[in-house]
Amino acid sequence: MKTKIGIPRALFYYEFASLWVNFFSELGLEVIISPKTNKKIINDGTIAAVDDACIPVKIYHGHVINLRNKVDYLFIPRIMGITKKEYICPKFCGLPEMIKYSVKDLPKLINTKIDLMKKDNLLNQMLEVGYIFINDKKRIVEAYHKAKAIYDYEKSKLKLPLVNNTNNVVIMGHPYILSDDYLNMNIKAKLKKAGLNYLLPEMFDDDILTKYAKQYNGKVFWYFFHQMIGTCFYLLEQKLVEGIIYLSSFGCGIDSVVAETVERNIRRNCDIPFMLLTIDEHSGEGGFNTRLEAFIDMLKWRKQNENYISPYGNYLYTR
Amino acid sequence: MKESVYIGIDVGSVSTNIVLVNENQEILKKMYLRTMGNPINVLQVGLCQLRDEYNDKINVLGVGSTGSGRQLANFIVGADIVKNEITAHAVASSTYVPDVRTILEIGGQDSKIIILRNQTVCDFAMNTVCAAGTGSFIDRQAARLNIPIEDFGDYALKSDNPVRIAGRCAVFAESDMIHKQQLGYSKEDIINGLCEALVRNYLNNIGKGKEILPPIVFQGGVAANKGIKKAFEKALGHEVYVPEHYNVMGALGAALLAQKAVQKAKRTNFLGLNIVDINFQVKGFECPNCPNACEVVGIYKDDNLAARWGDKCGRWADISIESPS
Repeated sequence: MKTKIGIPRALFYYEFASLWVNFFSELGLEVIISPKTNKKIINDGTIAAVDDACIPVKIYHGHVINLRNKVDYLFIPRIMGITKKEYICPKFCGLPEMIKYSVKDLPKLINTKIDLMKKDNLLNQMLEVGYIFINDKKRIVEAYHKAKAIYDYEKSKLKLPLVNNTNNVVIMGHPYILSDDYLNMNIKAKLKKAGLNYLLPEMFDDDILTKYAKQYNGKVFWYFFHQMIGTCFYLLEQKLVEGIIYLSSFGCGIDSVVAETVERNIRRNCDIPFMLLTIDEHSGEGGFNTRLEAFIDMLKWRKQNENYISPYGNYLYTR
Repeated sequence: MKESVYIGIDVGSVSTNIVLVNENQEILKKMYLRTMGNPINVLQVGLCQLRDEYNDKINVLGVGSTGSGRQLANFIVGADIVKNEITAHAVASSTYVPDVRTILEIGGQDSKIIILRNQTVCDFAMNTVCAAGTGSFIDRQAARLNIPIEDFGDYALKSDNPVRIAGRCAVFAESDMIHKQQLGYSKEDIINGLCEALVRNYLNNIGKGKEILPPIVFQGGVAANKGIKKAFEKALGHEVYVPEHYNVMGALGAALLAQKAVQKAKRTNFLGLNIVDINFQVKGFECPNCPNACEVVGIYKDDNLAARWGDKCGRWADISIESPS
């Protein structure tokens, strides 16, 4: 029987899924990924995790609980940084410890350190992971290159060709919030239903974001800051969108700086409507929907007005 | 001859408001009823009053619903438009005060600010994680001081010696208030301090970073409180205008939107005022089909299941499927 390795579908899974899954499959392991976030996962996670963690971290705990009895190993890497000279949220480097002390009856944990802040040595770090399972350097290196190629291809598929259609709204925020439709209350589907296209920061080219991030007058400390501020300046210059929605989880330390900086730059430099939505473990979607609907109304109302039609006359949509 | 009217319904957390407007957007009747945790019942009581008073005098052309209970209201009355309360408030305000540039709205459990430029909403904000600085907070403090809420504002106006009360959090405010009270400050001064604290909290939280330009309209149930109005004027340095129908502006907006919607659709979904005779019942269950365990609500019209909602996947939308017991 194949050895089973579990990967929680949360946090950096959304960034690295194809790399990790294909790497382990190439090594001959059976990869088990927890199901999409659901109410039970959130409930289990919030009970297990420390009370002041943000909701994405709590959800991660829930996914670990979902997997713990189904696998031989759990892959919870200690991620220090994924780009040069840029930090990520400190909760990621403490994640293995948080899990170890909050969740009981765990299978073996693999918490290899992944640190790309000094040099790009992802291969060495994945070698370290591979040696846990087989003592065959050649096969591990091969598995890595295969997985990396798929990963790079998947990433490039996300990138947008030049956008020029109207009705675009960008949703900003951590990728693990934007990718988890239970957590983000299905915002993407809701925008689509209202006739709007959504763009995500991950759809923009990395080089473009890096170029625009340089316009920021100050040190770009985090990888996430780099992505968001780059997106922000890119949008300001290109005028690609009619509205900007920033999704943040309550108590996020990084967002307390990034969301604020992004909001300030947008409000000072353009008149594109901006809305910050804070989410936590709410299951009632009422408050979220009210704000989202009002924001969509505002975009439509503005558009009517630009065309010199009565202020709220013609945009109305009935059920 | 029967007068043609539109009905606007705003089902909020604290109050349920119903207005009747004619085709010239003049208000014929307004009702401000306490929701008291039973929106269906309150709505029926309100509509029953309408029927008793107006049944043979009006011809209802359309209905709009808004507020946090807008979907529920829609189901009961059959609305032509279901709109969020931010848009509804903005529509009402900009109809009756055409050049308005800032709307301050404080309701029972939420407060919002709406910024308009050139008669178009260009920004808005709503309180996020905290209900400090909303109507329920004042309600509670009034009850604690044994003052009828209607007199709260008058007390504040009598103050001549401002007392600073911590305003960031309702719990902090309450303990600060008690400490000030034990030091011997007068009720009037403490109440005035509370009004100023609430306004400070509102401007810091909801009004943060917003350009508040006159004309400023203050609406929502709390606008009845003269103390808060005065505190806003003091903090903003501008006159704050409280419209005549300040406490039903959401419902008014819904009625105006219904007028537009019906003009476009040329028909109404309204089920008629006799819906007050129907016995509505709500029964909920937890869906056993997946780990999401959605809380599904079924609404029964005279014991027959009429609609169900609350499930993420939509499997219970088909009412021919029986609810699990």
